[in-house]
Amino acid sequence: MHELYIAQSILKSVQKSLPEDVRAEDVTQVRVECGQLDAVVPDSLIFLFDAIKAESNMPQAELLVEQIAVACVCKDCSREFEMELPVFICPDCQSGNVELLRGRGIRLTGITVNEPEDENHGHTGHP
Amino acid sequence: MDIPVIRDVLEESNALAKENRARFDEHKLYVVNIMSSPGSGKTTLLSKTIPLLQQRGLRCAVIEGDITSTIDSERLQPLGIPVVQANTEPFGGDCHVGAHLVQAALKYLDLSALDILFIENIGNLVCPAEFYLGENRKVVVLSTTEGEDKPLKYPLMFRECSVCLISKMDLAPHLDIDVAQITSNIRKTNAQITVLPVSSKTGEGLDAWVEWLVKKS
Repeated sequence: MHELYIAQSILKSVQKSLPEDVRAEDVTQVRVECGQLDAVVPDSLIFLFDAIKAESNMPQAELLVEQIAVACVCKDCSREFEMELPVFICPDCQSGNVELLRGRGIRLTGITVNEPEDENHGHTGHP
Repeated sequence: MDIPVIRDVLEESNALAKENRARFDEHKLYVVNIMSSPGSGKTTLLSKTIPLLQQRGLRCAVIEGDITSTIDSERLQPLGIPVVQANTEPFGGDCHVGAHLVQAALKYLDLSALDILFIENIGNLVCPAEFYLGENRKVVVLSTTEGEDKPLKYPLMFRECSVCLISKMDLAPHLDIDVAQITSNIRKTNAQITVLPVSSKTGEGLDAWVEWLVKKS
């Protein structure tokens, strides 16, 4: 259940990424990418994010999670391939000498905030 | 208004881990993060490994990660080495040892008086694999009782580790298990990993494991 720690880390990352003239209270959407290899369960992450955001200064923030498929490059024959199964073996030359290209790590990729002129429309969570 | 950003969500954790690593390097301390499912035999393995390292003149300590209990720390007391209990409950009951927890535990250790520090992580094949603590090497213990499929179910753990110890080898003859298949599945996730079959009960493979530790440290 590392999703709780990750949800807390996402909130901190958003705080750190906001320009000085933007209020945390105005954040309506937070976007993150999770590598498939990290085995983060998006529904759990969103559930926990919603639970902790209620007590934070970003109660309106909606979390969107994009899963990034695992992709590797074979260092022996240079073949690049995406993986359906966790078998890190080149489908062409069967080498295990493969390097991860994508699919590992959790990144904050975007924040949406309500702009002052939107204030009268309330917080819909959908900018 | 959209604010474009690309930021590693775990940057704070990684920064703490780098601080830990700088301290380890400063004291030429070799640090091994040991991970596994609950009950794979991590604590017993340490209780058999550390005396063999002591025979070679290496000074060891253990940071013992657990959610609430001190049972494992108590089991290691007879070794007469520094053991620091690091419970995650005050930090919200995390299912992994975090870099902040290691940093807190280091206050209780004289790093200049040590050669090898083991971090015994919390029993879990998912969460601990995610977090860098500042260690030199990650090691996973997989017991023969857990089934051949575990490396394929928890690939990140096996990708992250330099060594996989297949523990409880003494039980293998009594189990419906294919050790060659376990090894093959480990290698499917990580062709570069060193696989060492061991038994804390009979001592099988412990010399090779100790040799690996000594060579790396």
